[in-house]
Amino acid sequence: MHAALLRIATISRKEFVHIIRDWRMIVAVAVMPLLQLLLFAYAIGFDVRNVPTVLYDADHSAQSRAYLDAATNSGFFRVIGNVNSNSQIDDAFNQGRARVAIVVGQGFGTALADGRAAHAAVLLDGSEPNSAELGRAYALALNNVFGQRVLTTWAATRGAALNFGQLEPRVRAWYNPERSSADFLIPGLMVVIIMIVTVQQTAVTIVRERESGTLEQIMVSPVRQVELILGKVAPWAVLGFADTAGITAVSLVIFHVPLRGDIALLGVGMFLFVLCSLSIGLVISAVAPTIESANMVGLLVSFLPGFMLSGMAFRLSSIPVFLQVISYAFPGRYMVDISRGVFLRGAGWPILWPQVVELVLYAIIGLVLATALNRRRA
Amino acid sequence: MNWRRYRLIVWKEFLQLRRDPLLLRIVLIMPVLQLLMFGYVVGADVTHLPTAIVDHDHTATSRALVNSFASSNYFTIVARPTAEKDLLPLLDSTKAQVAIVIDAGTEVGLLAGRTMPVGIVVDGADSRTASVASGYAAQVIAAYNARRLALQTARVHGPSLDSRVRVVFNPSIRAVNAMIPGLIAAILMISVMAVMSQAVVRERARGTLEQMMVTPLSRGEYLLGKVTPYVLIASVQMGFVAFLGRVWFRVPFNGSLWTVALGLGLFTFTSIGMALLISLVSRTQQQAQQMTMFVMIPTMVLSGFMFPLESMPAPILPLTYIIPLRYALVVLRGSFLKGASIADLAVPLGAMALFSLVIFTAAVTRFSRTLGD
Repeated sequence: MHAALLRIATISRKEFVHIIRDWRMIVAVAVMPLLQLLLFAYAIGFDVRNVPTVLYDADHSAQSRAYLDAATNSGFFRVIGNVNSNSQIDDAFNQGRARVAIVVGQGFGTALADGRAAHAAVLLDGSEPNSAELGRAYALALNNVFGQRVLTTWAATRGAALNFGQLEPRVRAWYNPERSSADFLIPGLMVVIIMIVTVQQTAVTIVRERESGTLEQIMVSPVRQVELILGKVAPWAVLGFADTAGITAVSLVIFHVPLRGDIALLGVGMFLFVLCSLSIGLVISAVAPTIESANMVGLLVSFLPGFMLSGMAFRLSSIPVFLQVISYAFPGRYMVDISRGVFLRGAGWPILWPQVVELVLYAIIGLVLATALNRRRA
Repeated sequence: MNWRRYRLIVWKEFLQLRRDPLLLRIVLIMPVLQLLMFGYVVGADVTHLPTAIVDHDHTATSRALVNSFASSNYFTIVARPTAEKDLLPLLDSTKAQVAIVIDAGTEVGLLAGRTMPVGIVVDGADSRTASVASGYAAQVIAAYNARRLALQTARVHGPSLDSRVRVVFNPSIRAVNAMIPGLIAAILMISVMAVMSQAVVRERARGTLEQMMVTPLSRGEYLLGKVTPYVLIASVQMGFVAFLGRVWFRVPFNGSLWTVALGLGLFTFTSIGMALLISLVSRTQQQAQQMTMFVMIPTMVLSGFMFPLESMPAPILPLTYIIPLRYALVVLRGSFLKGASIADLAVPLGAMALFSLVIFTAAVTRFSRTLGD
């Protein structure tokens, strides 16, 4: 037992020397995750605002200006200019300068004064689905409010108090009252970033040894397969865990993400998760014939299913069932549950224990599989 | 420029690709995987949000309102707890992500002509859903108000606003329609940058580059021969994505093929230039891999490919202008969905031409100078 531990430690030390000999590797492991965190946290958001809008006022009456002002003041539409014809709207849309056009037809003011229906239109560019979807909601609400105001003022000028009640949505966001995207994203982001870093790095460790012939040298030494795998995992597990701690510290200090739950649970989860992603990397490394293909598989696995099927940015319950099933094969979704639960919902062991158990099983299966595959290759 | 020598290099490159069966398989699987992920995950429309309803009013009005929520495509009612405190466990366990709370006295207030609030509780821990849900809720309530107003004013012949809200270019607002055209450009970039930079660095790391340089092969022939196979592969992948996008995801195509070809051609040069620059700064394949990631992640995030540009904070926006993919997306989405002409797309096409000129020439000159070192 003691001898085995010693052999694992020796392999770990060798791996560690490999890592620190290459300064670019250090940058990749220590600096890249933080850069990614900053980039994602600042840039990603889903709250669409400031949609570029053109106004076309064919009426030039007090009423048409009132309507357009109501639109401008809603805060959703950012007016970039006025146009004078429908073809100018087409140009603005085709050139991508504007995504919304608000058009007030001729005779708008007189129609309202005469008590008839006045015509207006809101055009939305559907090639950016997020803005179009929200723009439609805002436009409908705007028309609703304006239409009612017109009617009540008209009634008031005739001495009749026409007063219709109306319903008004009052939105409250639980768990994240300011609806800060950073609060929502960062707990998931750290999971994805750790996955990208660890899978990428370990995907090549064994292939590289095989290509440079050093794997054979290890094979003739007393080191056993399990020891080799564990020895390779250990330094990366330490680094991955250090990365996690660094990212957590930055999230708390710079982004003020609330940490409402049990930090020990988060730590245990993250440690298990690092082991899971390392085992994915090692499985790739054992299967891939060349460094190139190991790199490509690592890239594909960590970026596509690892990122997208983790539930970090995209709702898993909206996707087709067969992809939901596939998502269980990647450890990201369990860890995103844990991370978001601990950070935002203040959840503890009673709620999150199933995810922890899943990660434990995942890590064990992954490491055993990596060892078995590597043995078969050797 | 000797045609035969160039062909031999292309041939050698293909042979080398074939020797690594896994790599070849990845190159073939990649577009399928990306179509699945981007088409079904990123392009998923957020609908049928699990919704809990708390109705304290128990009147015809509140029931009508609940019905308009239930009959919209956006909300699926999963629970009707009687008290607000029962919402907490539902949202905690994410069994419900939206809750609608109708206070007692809503109908009475409405009839008295007051503005009555409807509580919409969204799960702020999931900000995309929260944002979409509040938008949908506003839409449902606005529609309800409009119907109510129309009913009540049927007798009053007063003025009204007849405003149509119309979505042009992608009337059903399908997210996939915007995703697939973007994916065509993204896949070109990924293929050329990730696969080709590896292939060039490999020759440098193994020393076979030096052997090449002592043959009669000129640098131009080497470079062109090295680039050709990967551009061909990327073209096959793009064609595949475009074909499946049209046939399987039924993405409309309203533009001209020439505009698309011009845009993609310019973007190919940019991608090749970036791949060569990556292989210049990397000594090992792993470094090349890391550089690729270093360039690709900001590109994906800041180009508007996965996340709408309009949701980015103002200080970040200027950064997006230095991302070549941003312009490629404007050209492709413009062509596919809007049928925009070359004249409409002059600005993004011009920007792409500038990028390809600067990046490609810089990379090629630097590369051919370092080739022999």
